[in-house]
Amino acid sequence: MLRSEYTNLSVVDIREGLNAGNFSAKEIADASLSCIDALDAGVVDAFLSTTPMLAYEAAEKLDTNSAKSAQVKAGILAGVPIAFKDNMNLMGTHTTCASKMLADYISPYTATCVAKTLAAGAIPMGKLNMDEFAFGSSTETSAFKLTRNPWDLERVPGGSSGGSVAAVASGMVTVALGSDTGGSIRQPAAFCGVVGFKPTYGVVSRYGVVAFGSSLDQVGPIGRSVADVAITTDAICGRDPLDCTSQDVNPGYYNSVLAAQQKGIKGMKIGVVPEYLEAPGIEREVVKALKGAIANLQELGAQIVDVSLPNAQAALAAYYVIGPCEAFSNLSRFDSVRYGNKNDVVQTAATDLGSRYEQARAHGFGPEAIRRIMLGSYLLSSGVYNTYYYPAQQVRTLITKDYQQAFEQVDVILAPVSPRTAFKFGEVGDPTSMYLSDIFTIPINIAGNGGLSLPVGLGEDSGLPVAVQIIGPQFGDYAIMRAAAALEQCYPDIRRIAPLMDSLNASANGLKSPERGVA
Amino acid sequence: MYLTENDVRGIATYARIGLADDEVKAMTIDLNNIIESLKPITEYDLTGVEPTFHPIAGLVNVMRDDIQIDGLAHNDAMQNAPSSADGQFRIPPILGDGGEA
Repeated sequence: MLRSEYTNLSVVDIREGLNAGNFSAKEIADASLSCIDALDAGVVDAFLSTTPMLAYEAAEKLDTNSAKSAQVKAGILAGVPIAFKDNMNLMGTHTTCASKMLADYISPYTATCVAKTLAAGAIPMGKLNMDEFAFGSSTETSAFKLTRNPWDLERVPGGSSGGSVAAVASGMVTVALGSDTGGSIRQPAAFCGVVGFKPTYGVVSRYGVVAFGSSLDQVGPIGRSVADVAITTDAICGRDPLDCTSQDVNPGYYNSVLAAQQKGIKGMKIGVVPEYLEAPGIEREVVKALKGAIANLQELGAQIVDVSLPNAQAALAAYYVIGPCEAFSNLSRFDSVRYGNKNDVVQTAATDLGSRYEQARAHGFGPEAIRRIMLGSYLLSSGVYNTYYYPAQQVRTLITKDYQQAFEQVDVILAPVSPRTAFKFGEVGDPTSMYLSDIFTIPINIAGNGGLSLPVGLGEDSGLPVAVQIIGPQFGDYAIMRAAAALEQCYPDIRRIAPLMDSLNASANGLKSPERGVA
Repeated sequence: MYLTENDVRGIATYARIGLADDEVKAMTIDLNNIIESLKPITEYDLTGVEPTFHPIAGLVNVMRDDIQIDGLAHNDAMQNAPSSADGQFRIPPILGDGGEA
């Protein structure tokens, strides 16, 4: 199979082609690995580790004629190359969270979301780079490597699920899983021109996904179409006895997509937040894309309604209280006793346990992780708790009520994803400016709702991907899928694979060599 | 200025992170900037507003069926230990060399 043929296949194409005998799962695995070989190391650098052995094992299971094969082939992700953010455990693989702290860590078990994709027939290609412990919006805080935006190798892919989106946008895998605590699926998806979905909190089990902010974290899929993302969500959602926050809801994500594609969304009520269009720091091309999407939705017969989210402006501050406090607590488990960096521990000459902790954690965690742990430690300290942590949880109530009231009037809300398109490496230097990349995504995590980032073409100023965000009511994700599937049809010509692949395919014919990264 | 360098040293000790002197200096600046950006939280009138500690309302005491589920095998649980001996995690003395107990 040619690489260009493979990268054009959707989840449904792969499943149907495999079942019709048009190609084998091994051919798909070969094509995916061939893309990874050509585009990853030294170019996009999305992967922290690849799993060709596991991929071929999964492919063989699909290709061997047996009762077991028939069962896996019937799975909704049959034959689909997938890769996982490196905070997700897959038994026998490294799970590093892009941190030196876990450089040696080998997963002794598999996360529920990962296991569910494999049970649905997906082919595991590897583990993907991220901001260390998901602390960041550019994947620059990874302890191991920079991942480059496949649309412009001098720019960041966004973060923290930067490796996940870059692998999908460059065609190396068909879908990937990411996690989203404050925008970590949606913002990078916007930067790389792919679809990224954070389901409502509780839809997907977090068992086996390394925790960052337990009241905010949610796992979700990244793909090149709304349909691919919907099918992947169908595969991973549902109640898991191993995660007490997971809920028994499956609205039938893919069915919602099909319904919207067939019946349209006439009469659907779409909320827009007027103050978002004038938010400080928002780029002209982002506003233009949003206005274009509003016009398209009107064209489809949807009704546009102004809604107000007066407390959303406090979401960023609430998030930088709640997130670090939960991270401080979650990261206390990295004590260098049960797991930790073997070399650092051997090197440290600590003569008592307290100094061992201090040295191992200072060596193992990068600067952003240390900042957030320190901040959380301070905010939870006696006396300070009542100034920040408790009020932040009260503000959370106000923000949640804003959304509840808005969703009494509308079915979904249309918003920007990020105030700007992908920035260059090192361009956003200080931590507080970096935190502003997530002003439109964070309120959703605070309230627990679902949100989807849909690419709507290239910005007229930057020439880089621009996206809009569709937000739904809590456990009303089906409405997001409907609106997204309908709106997606208004952009039939936009590319979901970065042009990087073209130059590569051309070079295979001896025409042009691929551009190399210069980060 | 919310925090002095001395405060930051105290926080680092509590968070079990060993910071060098130059790191304390940079961390003090960063933390003060971040805390300044949290100001909106302190400016709200929140009288009578209940806190939301968890996004799913009404989730209390989620129980699973009382059936036996095997945990990790001993060896699997130990495989990531940086240092172990006789199937147990190995650590430096808790009281260090100066322990008099």
